[in-house]
Amino acid sequence: MVVPVVENLTRRVGRFMHDDDLRVELQSLLKGGLETKIEPRAWDQAKVDFILSRLREIDAGDYENKLVEAGFTLYPWGEGDDAQSCETCMYYVVHRRFCELPELMMPVEADWSCTLWRI
Amino acid sequence: MANLLWLQGGACSGNTMSFLNAEEPSACDLVTDFGINVLWHPSLGMELGDNLQQLLRKCISGEIKLDIFVFEGTVVNAPNGTGEWNRFAGRPMRDWVRELSDAADFVVAIGDCATWGGIPATAPNPSESQGLQFLKRGHGGYLGAEFKSKAGLPVINIPGCPAHPDWVTQILVAVATGRAGDLALDEFQRPKTFFQSFTQTGCTRNMHFAYKVSATEFGQRKGCLFYDLGCRGPMTHSPCNRILWNRVSSKTRAGMPCMGCTEPEFPFFDLAPGTVFKTQTVMGVPKELPEGVDKTGYIKLTGAAKAAAPAWAEQDIFVV
Repeated sequence: MVVPVVENLTRRVGRFMHDDDLRVELQSLLKGGLETKIEPRAWDQAKVDFILSRLREIDAGDYENKLVEAGFTLYPWGEGDDAQSCETCMYYVVHRRFCELPELMMPVEADWSCTLWRI
Repeated sequence: MANLLWLQGGACSGNTMSFLNAEEPSACDLVTDFGINVLWHPSLGMELGDNLQQLLRKCISGEIKLDIFVFEGTVVNAPNGTGEWNRFAGRPMRDWVRELSDAADFVVAIGDCATWGGIPATAPNPSESQGLQFLKRGHGGYLGAEFKSKAGLPVINIPGCPAHPDWVTQILVAVATGRAGDLALDEFQRPKTFFQSFTQTGCTRNMHFAYKVSATEFGQRKGCLFYDLGCRGPMTHSPCNRILWNRVSSKTRAGMPCMGCTEPEFPFFDLAPGTVFKTQTVMGVPKELPEGVDKTGYIKLTGAAKAAAPAWAEQDIFVV
C-alpha cells in the first residue's frame, strides 16, 4: 500500500522529471532555428486575445506550435529596465521553472521570453 | 424613536435583499433595539394607493417627522427629463425624491445606483439615470452638489452592488441614535469607517500578491486575482475582507475577482467586451496599479518579489 503523501510526492517528482526532459527538448527546438512569431508584440488586449485564441486551437501536447504562436525566444526581449523575461512574468512559476498561462502550460527557463509577457 | 422611509427608484431590489439579510444588527433589531420606526419600505410597507400617497404627503408637510429618508436605485429622468418612466404613487418618483429629501433630517443613498448611477447609468444611459448626489465621479447628481439635508449633512453614500447588509444597518443605527455627527465621510460621501481601507485589506491572497503569484482560473485557491483576472481589490475602497459576507467569505476568498463595485466608475470600462474579469494591460503592465504605486516601482518590486518567492507560495497550501 502506498501512503497518500508518498504517492503524491512520487507523482510530483515524476512531473518535474518530465518538465526537465521537455524543457531540454523545447530548448533544442529553439536553438535549432525554429522560427517563432516574435513580432508584433502583444502590446494591447486585442493582440493578446488574438494570440490566445490561436493558442487555444493548438493541441495541448503540440509544444512546437505553442512556441511558434507565442513567439518564444531563448533570451529576454528588450533591454535594461524594459527587458521582458519569463523570470519577471506573472505566469512564471519560479521554483518549477514553468509557465502557468493556461494556454501554454509548459516548462520554460527564467531568461526565455514570449510576446504574452505581462508583469 | 426615529422615523425611516425607504423608497426604490431604478433598482433591482438587490439592496433590499441585502438589508433584509442583515445580522449585526438585523433589520428586526433596528426596530426592537434601536428605536427605528419603518414608516414604509417596498417589501415591508402595508399601505397601498391613496393611503401610501397620504403617508408620503404627511412626511413632506412635516405632519409626520421624517428622520431618515433612504433611497435605493437611480433617479430616473427619462424620457426627456420628465421622469415618467418611473412613476410611483401617482407621479414621477423623482418628484417624491426631491420633496422627501428636502423634508428629511438625513438622506441615505444605498447601493451604487442611488449613490452614483451604477449599472443603469452606464453609457448610453437610456433611462437618464442619476445618483442622488453624484453621477459616476461627477459631483451633483439629481439633488445637486450643494444639497444638504435638514441636519446639515450631504447625502450619506453607502455604495456596493449590493451594499453589505451590515454597512446599511450599522449606518442607520448610527444616524437613528444621534451619532451621525461622528460619521467622517470621504470625498465621495462614503463613511470612512467602512470605505477608507481597501478590499485587499484582509484578503487571504495577500501573500500571493506579495510574491507575485498569479491565479489563472476562477475558483483557484492559489494565486492573486489582480494580475490576470481583473481583480480590483488593491484599488477599491471597501471592507469586504474585514466584514465578511454571510460572516464567512468574500469574493476574493471564493476565488472570484473584486469588480470594484463600491467605486463611482462601476461598472468599469462601460462593460466593454474583454474588460470584465481581465486585467487590462499596456505593453504587459497593468493599466491600473495598486493605489499609490508607480510603474517603475511596480516593475522593480515584481522582479524582487518573484526572485524571493518561496516554493510554498507557488503551491496550493489550503488543505481540505
